[in-house]
Amino acid sequence: MRRRTFLKGLAATATVVSAGPLIITERTIAQTRTIYVNTWGGSWTAAEEAAFFKPFTEQTGIRVRTVAPVSYAKLKAQVQSGNYEWDITAITQADLLRAEREGLVEPVDWTVVKKDKLFPNAVYANGLAYCALGTNLAYRKDKFPQGGPKSWADFWDVKKFPGSRSMLNNAVRTVQFALVADGVPVDKVFPLDVDRAFRKLDQIKPHVKVWWTQGNQSQQLLRDGEVDMIVMWNARASELQQQSLPVELVWHGATITTTMWGVAKGAPNRKLAWGFLQFAVQPKPQADFANKLYYGPTNPEAFKYISPEVSRQLPTYPENVKVAIKPDTVAEADQTAKIQERFTQWLAS
Amino acid sequence: MAGELSGAALLPESAVRGARRNATAWLLIAPSCLALVLLFVVPIAYVLLLSVTDPRLSLAHYQRIFTVPVYTRVMVNTFVTSVIVTALCLVIGYPFAYVMARRAGWVSTLLLTVVAMSFWTGFLVRSYAWLVILGSKGPVVAAYGALGLGKAPQLLFSTFSSTLGMTHILLPYMILALYASMRKIAGSHLKAAASLGARPAAAFREVFLPLSLPGVVNGSLLVFVSCLGFFVTPVLLGTPRDMMISQLINQQIEELLAFGFASAVAVVLLIATCAVLAIYNHYAGLDRLWG
Repeated sequence: MRRRTFLKGLAATATVVSAGPLIITERTIAQTRTIYVNTWGGSWTAAEEAAFFKPFTEQTGIRVRTVAPVSYAKLKAQVQSGNYEWDITAITQADLLRAEREGLVEPVDWTVVKKDKLFPNAVYANGLAYCALGTNLAYRKDKFPQGGPKSWADFWDVKKFPGSRSMLNNAVRTVQFALVADGVPVDKVFPLDVDRAFRKLDQIKPHVKVWWTQGNQSQQLLRDGEVDMIVMWNARASELQQQSLPVELVWHGATITTTMWGVAKGAPNRKLAWGFLQFAVQPKPQADFANKLYYGPTNPEAFKYISPEVSRQLPTYPENVKVAIKPDTVAEADQTAKIQERFTQWLAS
Repeated sequence: MAGELSGAALLPESAVRGARRNATAWLLIAPSCLALVLLFVVPIAYVLLLSVTDPRLSLAHYQRIFTVPVYTRVMVNTFVTSVIVTALCLVIGYPFAYVMARRAGWVSTLLLTVVAMSFWTGFLVRSYAWLVILGSKGPVVAAYGALGLGKAPQLLFSTFSSTLGMTHILLPYMILALYASMRKIAGSHLKAAASLGARPAAAFREVFLPLSLPGVVNGSLLVFVSCLGFFVTPVLLGTPRDMMISQLINQQIEELLAFGFASAVAVVLLIATCAVLAIYNHYAGLDRLWG
């Protein structure tokens, strides 16, 4: 008997030890009402802090802690192992669809979320839409006094627009830009002709100085003049403009992706999490976020609180949507893994 | 039970005491053993298991590592880079450590302080420092222009900058290992050589260099093995073509969710590292690694 108790104790110790991050134990012991959010860090998290987390804590007393950066791999690992580092994750729409198919996210808890308080199309693949993000061509105006590149075809044209280039290390985005550069109209990018895209990518590869991975890195590259043109998230470029740097943003051929919020399957604080998400997609917090960081609100009502000047710079502004690549989330979710693998090999060879 | 007791009673007193002392020793190291097993052996076993079971039971991942050219190239590149970085650290570190060990007083202290400060500065900070130094608005490019050498070559985001960054970060390990073994070489050895007619160069070659070899081997091993698993610096300063094994592992997990394949790559890295350590153990003995 005693031996068995000892073994049980040992097993319990093993579980605690293998649970790893102190967060978990701290959370279980303290019994405080805290939710954990996986987010992108940097200015993104700062804007979330001001628009969502602080007002939510003031209203409910529930604390919000963040973990960065967003990692699909960690989402999968924590659901499989049962050791949760966070309850909510920010995630792109295509990745959320993948996660839903793999059973990694909780279904919407309709006992907490009120349907009549949501806007149309707020719910997708068991998550709530919270902002739209543009991935654009951006360039230094001072490097192109005769006028800079206006399209991906110009980005590819190293004779007409000489200068160093940097691109985002993301397969699915890059493939779409290559297709538009090769003459595919922005509304005909899907279904993706992957072979054609890679043939086009071969042309630009020697001219790409850096394949960046972090938003801060992209800003540093353009700010320090390390590169003259770059693939960049729209709000990151707007931030540079606000710092009075001569940066121009191109909307033609940009991808506009919806960022979602999902709740990790089996997360310990999922009830509180849904309460928070319900709060965060309301017009006022949505507008506060967009005013801080120029990513578009998904709740149309939010535009009531946003000035026309700011609206024009958001990815959900109709004129911007019109010239951007028409997204096909399902196709992206289907093909991401395969394209990513090919891209990885292509980059390293 | 009784049999055992009587058996023990037949043994001489000292043997019993020895056995008891042994048991106490085992009890004392039990917590650290348990921690090692739980935090080290179990996870490694799990990685090993994943590499042959995820998504299904097979050795396909290993086959892929050695048949897909890109992955083989990453392996080769990792080893070649590690050899180059080790050689550079040795060439730069040896004279540095020599001066540190042979000069007394403030010179030695100053040099040691420099090495220690470099050692204690985070490697992320040191990697970013190179971004500034080698950047297109940095001092190196400015010096190029000022000297009228024309347009500076592309320094950043190249094999050159990534090798430079890794050498910089690993240099303190090499210097400290060399310094530790050089400090033990008594100055009287060199005096004796001189008294027997050896010129300084000959005394160095015949006496000092052979005596410092353990430090050379230790330092090289430390640098080489650390370099095998390098991650951040090549990501920040290098190109995708210079990918190291750990970048490949990260990419497989973060972007492709290929836990099984990533585990297989990790196992190959582990085996390679163990092989290097085994060779070292055979010729030098692992217990001598820390002086």
